[in-house]
Amino acid sequence: MSNKRKRNFQFRFVPDAEAEYFDKNWNILEHAIRDIYKKGNYSHHSIEDLYRYAFNMVLHKSSDKLYSGLVATMKSMTSHLKEIAESIEATQGGPFLVKLNRKWNDHSKALLMIGDILMYMDRIYVPRTKKAPVYELGMNLWTETVIYSNQIRTRLSNTLSELICRERDGEDVNRKLIKNITKMLMDLGLSVYVQVFETPFLQVSYEFYRAESQKLIECCNCVDYLKNVERLINEEMDRVNHYLDPRTKSKITYVVKKEMIENHILRLIHMENSGLVNMLCGDKYEDLGIMYNLFSCEIDGLSKICEVMTSHIRESGKQLVTDPEKSKDPVQFVQRLLDEKNKYDKIISLAFNNDKMFHNAVNSSFEFFINLNPRCPEYISLFVDNKLRKVLKGVSKDDVDITLDNVVMLFRYLQDKDMFEKYYIQHLAKRLLSGKSVSDDAEKSLIVKLKTECVHQFTSKVEVIFADMKTSVDTMQNFYASHSELVDGPTLTVKVLTTRFWPTQSTVTCKLPAEISALCEKFRSYYLGTHAGRKLSWQTKMGTADMKATFRKGQRHELIVSTYQMCVLILFNNADRLSYKEIEQATEIPASDLKRCLQSLALVKGKNVLKKEPMSKDFSDDDVFFVNDKFSSKLYKVKIGTFVAAKESEPEKVETQQRIEEHWKPQIDAAIVRIMKFRKQLDHNHLIAEVTKQLQSRFLANPIEVKKRIESLIERDFLERDDIDRELYRYIS
Amino acid sequence: MIFADGITLLCNDIQVDPQDIVMLVLSWHMKAGTMCEFSKKEFTEGLQSLGIDSLDKFREKIPSMRSELKDEQKFREIYNFAFGWAKEKGQKSLALDTAIGMWQLLFAEKQWPLVDHWCQFLQARHNKAISRDTWSQLLEFAKTVSSNLSDYDAEGAWPYLIDEFVDYLKENGVNQHGQINDSSLN
Repeated sequence: MSNKRKRNFQFRFVPDAEAEYFDKNWNILEHAIRDIYKKGNYSHHSIEDLYRYAFNMVLHKSSDKLYSGLVATMKSMTSHLKEIAESIEATQGGPFLVKLNRKWNDHSKALLMIGDILMYMDRIYVPRTKKAPVYELGMNLWTETVIYSNQIRTRLSNTLSELICRERDGEDVNRKLIKNITKMLMDLGLSVYVQVFETPFLQVSYEFYRAESQKLIECCNCVDYLKNVERLINEEMDRVNHYLDPRTKSKITYVVKKEMIENHILRLIHMENSGLVNMLCGDKYEDLGIMYNLFSCEIDGLSKICEVMTSHIRESGKQLVTDPEKSKDPVQFVQRLLDEKNKYDKIISLAFNNDKMFHNAVNSSFEFFINLNPRCPEYISLFVDNKLRKVLKGVSKDDVDITLDNVVMLFRYLQDKDMFEKYYIQHLAKRLLSGKSVSDDAEKSLIVKLKTECVHQFTSKVEVIFADMKTSVDTMQNFYASHSELVDGPTLTVKVLTTRFWPTQSTVTCKLPAEISALCEKFRSYYLGTHAGRKLSWQTKMGTADMKATFRKGQRHELIVSTYQMCVLILFNNADRLSYKEIEQATEIPASDLKRCLQSLALVKGKNVLKKEPMSKDFSDDDVFFVNDKFSSKLYKVKIGTFVAAKESEPEKVETQQRIEEHWKPQIDAAIVRIMKFRKQLDHNHLIAEVTKQLQSRFLANPIEVKKRIESLIERDFLERDDIDRELYRYIS
Repeated sequence: MIFADGITLLCNDIQVDPQDIVMLVLSWHMKAGTMCEFSKKEFTEGLQSLGIDSLDKFREKIPSMRSELKDEQKFREIYNFAFGWAKEKGQKSLALDTAIGMWQLLFAEKQWPLVDHWCQFLQARHNKAISRDTWSQLLEFAKTVSSNLSDYDAEGAWPYLIDEFVDYLKENGVNQHGQINDSSLN
């Protein structure tokens, strides 16, 4: 019993002391707080004392009371703050903000002082109980009473927005003051900043920029307008940096872009004489870059640029390839295509940030218009031929690579890759046979590049062609090694070509001069001796000959001629004058070739080793030819007639087309059978679509052709029509 | 085997012209392999299936056989049968002249207004034998496509020859009633 009482006694003792201590010292603190508010100083007590009182209260577990006391005190200060608010409201004009700012500073300072005194409570009690610290309490009080007072709130928003508008118009404003105000708002809380300042500010800005954009778009051209937009954006960012909160930066930039760009995208792109097309044509990289950057923030901005660019490329590309003037010279034609591609590559890399969407657009546009001219495959092959014959002589490996890569790039765009293949092999054969290829390495390098693009079939053909060339060299060495008696006679160089792989040849041979044909026979028997079961046919249309000629006045020359030309010239060893008819009979050269041959021998200035009577361009049986005694040339070696690949003539072209179509038939058949075998049955339209799709990497299948092949397959009992649905085909297994 | 002479005799007996289309119907019943020929098997089995055991019965059966041509389904079967029957043994396609003859016979029954144009077209532009597919598809064409070609579907799975025929008709200004305006074709 006595223990209990002792304990009770103890409890009773401490609270009493606590309560007394609290009450006595709370009064002091309360007064001090009021004084700080009203006068800005601590009045009679020192900060250390005040701090100690508060400290002890917390220590002795009177924090709750202390806190509630603080809250109550602050609440009671409301009327004091209301007075302050009224005095601010009463201030007219400019000084309004100044007064607000000053009063705020006073209040802030007061809060800091109060906070200093109650620091221990802030540190220990507040986090534990998750209550608002002193500073925050004070802030809220200020916000509720002063800022959100009806008059002040609206007036503050309007004043700030108005000042910024004036600055936009060119007036100087007190940036520091505004900065202080906005900082105050931020300190009071993000939502205060947003509600009181940011939202009205953005609203006003929308209206401002809407008007501004209307004004500028009427009087500016595209580039100037865009540059203005850039300038305005920079100004706004500068503004934010100087006196607004960084959060506002992205929002105001958005406003500017939305009003000035988004609403005018199409108008800007299509602006006459200064819009996108004008920029593209003029290679205006900087301007295009500005447009790209500004439009990239809009949802469809870039795709709109892309659209317009695409249709422009297609249009100008179409004109390029269908202009008959421009397609006269194949090499120039292709060079123009490459230049066009380079132009756009450069634009995309310098101005469009190498954006993939634009690269794709360029590729699809090129694919579209290149295939509008059906001669492109031939022309590209001629371009390659030209490079590999002359241009790439002595050029560095890297430059060779660049040229070849360009060729492969164009090749990729072709729909009729088959067609290119056919011409390429033709031109390659001529190059190799006439020894005109500049570099074996370059040829092989091109094949490797094409191999990665093509079906294997094409490059394996070419490999056989190269192999034949090499084997022939070996064969000739062996031939002469085993026929040493022939060393003194004319030197024969034979290239043995495997029929299926080289371009199709003619079977017509001319009559070779006796000594040559004897030599050829020796070779034939030698070759067939080592390669039993093969058949050789001489291709006299494609050979060359080097002849030493002595003219009557003693001029000596070495003439480099075709086989046909050689046959003609040799005749003049045994006759002074020969008629056309006689030459024709003696050589058995086909008429059209013979005419061409005689033309090059007699009618070309500087190369006329023969003379023709009459000098006319056409040929009749009685025309007479004789050696030109007065022939002269500065060079010892005179080349007559070359094998440079020329553009195909119209009839040749038609023939080529027909041959290619023949070649396609089995491929179409195979595709149809493959598809039907898998699907078992398929309707007409779907079958056509699938066949076209399967073949599209090689050539563009003509639906009419495919239909014909389907009928042919029905004939041959591969397919049948369904009894009920006549558009349905079934595979017959 | 009954050959051409035998058939002529038969036709005499049943009082039917050898060129009469009902002979085709008869051949169809007999499942004859080739025109102008009946094997013993074909002949006897055919007569059995028709229920004919006397000349009188044979003659009686003629009108009903004729009327079979009016039946859509049977006409189609007979038409398609005609291709195999009319072509040369061992050939895959039907010679053009024979085909034209057959068509004129068949479409006289069926009343297809474009049959003459079709034959003219073939002689002018095609001049080759007719495939089975083209033969059978022509009937579908005649049945489903109106003679002014308004409902012809170029994307449809018609044989190429029929597409060409349509182009030919359009080139030569075929009007609503299937009559060609261009007099140069006469």
